[in-house]
Amino acid sequence: MITVTTPICASMRRLLAAAATAAIMVATTASGASAASGCIKGDRKAPYTIGWANIYSVPTWMKQTEGTITAEVDELKKAGLVKDLMITDAQGNAQTQIQHIQSMIDANVDAIVVIAGSSNALDRVISDACDKGIAIVNFDSLVNTDKVTAKINTDSAEWGGAAAKWLVGQLGGKGKIIVMNGPAGISVSDDRRKGAQPVLDANKDIEVITETNSEYNVAPAQEAMTSLLFANQEIDGVLSLGGALSAGSVLAFDRQGRDQVPITGENARQFLELWKEKGLKGWATMQPNWLGAFSVYTAVQALEGKTVPAFIKVPLPVIDDSSVESYLARAENFPADGYIYSDYDKALFDKLLAQ
Amino acid sequence: MTLATSSSLYRAVQRRRNRGLLGLYIVVTAFLILYAVLFPGILSVGGFSKFTQNWFPLALVAMAQALLMLNGGITLAIGPMVSLGAVIAATTMGGPLGTFGGFLAVAAAGLCIGAATGAIVALLRLPAIIVTLAGSFIISGVALIMLPRPGGFVPEWLSTLLAGHTPMAFLLLVLILGLWKIFLATPLGLGIYAAGDNPVGAYRSGVPIDRVKIVSFALSGLLAALAGLFVAAQTGSGDPIIGTPFTLNSIAAAVLGGVGFLGGKGTMRGAVCGSLLLSVMINVMFFLGFPPVAQYVAQGLIIVGAVAVPELLGRWRTNR
Repeated sequence: MITVTTPICASMRRLLAAAATAAIMVATTASGASAASGCIKGDRKAPYTIGWANIYSVPTWMKQTEGTITAEVDELKKAGLVKDLMITDAQGNAQTQIQHIQSMIDANVDAIVVIAGSSNALDRVISDACDKGIAIVNFDSLVNTDKVTAKINTDSAEWGGAAAKWLVGQLGGKGKIIVMNGPAGISVSDDRRKGAQPVLDANKDIEVITETNSEYNVAPAQEAMTSLLFANQEIDGVLSLGGALSAGSVLAFDRQGRDQVPITGENARQFLELWKEKGLKGWATMQPNWLGAFSVYTAVQALEGKTVPAFIKVPLPVIDDSSVESYLARAENFPADGYIYSDYDKALFDKLLAQ
Repeated sequence: MTLATSSSLYRAVQRRRNRGLLGLYIVVTAFLILYAVLFPGILSVGGFSKFTQNWFPLALVAMAQALLMLNGGITLAIGPMVSLGAVIAATTMGGPLGTFGGFLAVAAAGLCIGAATGAIVALLRLPAIIVTLAGSFIISGVALIMLPRPGGFVPEWLSTLLAGHTPMAFLLLVLILGLWKIFLATPLGLGIYAAGDNPVGAYRSGVPIDRVKIVSFALSGLLAALAGLFVAAQTGSGDPIIGTPFTLNSIAAAVLGGVGFLGGKGTMRGAVCGSLLLSVMINVMFFLGFPPVAQYVAQGLIIVGAVAVPELLGRWRTNR
């Protein structure tokens, strides 16, 4: 506790000193002449304090992501680049997340890594942080404002499009399908669904019988699919757009004694195991948990004066019948209700940053 | 003569109400001092403004909830109402209605939906908890239809005015509390307490119970919708689900503030104080460097403590 409070006092003094020269600083960055990454002013020196502003820490995906972040911070601590990691959990409340980021600004952290609880709500507080020269790296759920150092994500539309394309191919371009979406009003779930639409439009013989919206969890997905199975005798495929929705659907088919149909999904361990166990025709991609580690790495690179791209698109790793075994071979290292993500290392990060 | 007795009665009632809140006042003050020690920047205009801005919407919804709990009601539609307020603000202010028109639209929606809910509860004699639960689904749906995903537009000057580097939010809160004081002096305002404490007695004394209920639901809807407008201004846009956590937090703040579930017991200042505790707690735990898991535990302990301390103090006092 004491070790945390002392740097704050020191950083307060730095903040006051910085305030005196703020006007000059703003003038120089406004001209945009420097080649440095967004938000970086070059006045922050290693070792850095990193703030990790999480929207909600309870889901397994988040815990695993936080695991990659703390592992990366430990690496960077050894290298003398990072001295502290401050973690907050907004418990799903975007308003609380604003408050947390404001506190991080008040504590004068050097970098903020954030998954946004709302694509718009954080815009103003994040641009305030950017004005203070704090490196902002935003991944997974993105904000609208461009006043950040870098945004890192896979392409949700591509996610939906690729999943739809595979399913259409499996069905030979003809059949009745059910679309399983994540929660309504969430950008990721919306974007994946939108990405699938052009593919569905192009294949007129694919009929979408109905759609569901549920949390990215097994139980609600299974419940939703169970009632749909009663109502629909003929289902040729399931276009499931993420999380553990697919596992819920497979379980629902299984409990009802129905034959499994081709299904898309994500790298949830449970789904991959069911895939093998039931001999499914399956396809999966993922939102790699190491986006968290990569974001910390990117923030530190930017603070060290390297120019990082304002938007880093991470290619979607695909799991199909040929590669599912290699993922299941590593299953032991991941929680039973977790996600088996692809391998990552520093070389991969450097390659992605060199885009 | 009558003036003297009524004012001494008023003071006696206020003293009794404040005594119940003493524990909460102590806890909140302690947290504020701790916060100022950990982060002296809170004492600057900028720091104070930012802190009060983050607290302001919670204070409004705590008032919206307390208003109903005081007369024996409750609402589960606070969160959706905040979302709807934000959505209406973000979708109308960029259109032909303009900023002021958008403000009126938000206020009208809050008042009308609140009054409609109140009318159903009061005239059909249905339990508020069921009606507002159903209402919360409808309102959420409408917000999602109006704005399926975060977006919309709020003029920059409004954002700067309400949530810039000035303590505008705090001044508005003081203003609203002042208006509440004045409202309480009117027969209708008095009726809120009376109807909650002893509905039959109040009815026999000529308090228009149904009208009081409908008015308090309407005002509660207005406060929640205005909280939504503020959130839209603070974030610069609308989000159809941003209000969801406010429902539970508004109840927590009101209960922390000593507002009873059965009506007639509690004060508005208590509810506002409760919301302040919920808000300052988050910042203090951050500056103490609590890991998130410990924050969940600490949050629970603080809430239980804030409720238990006045209870224990009261028992200690009666035993003595």
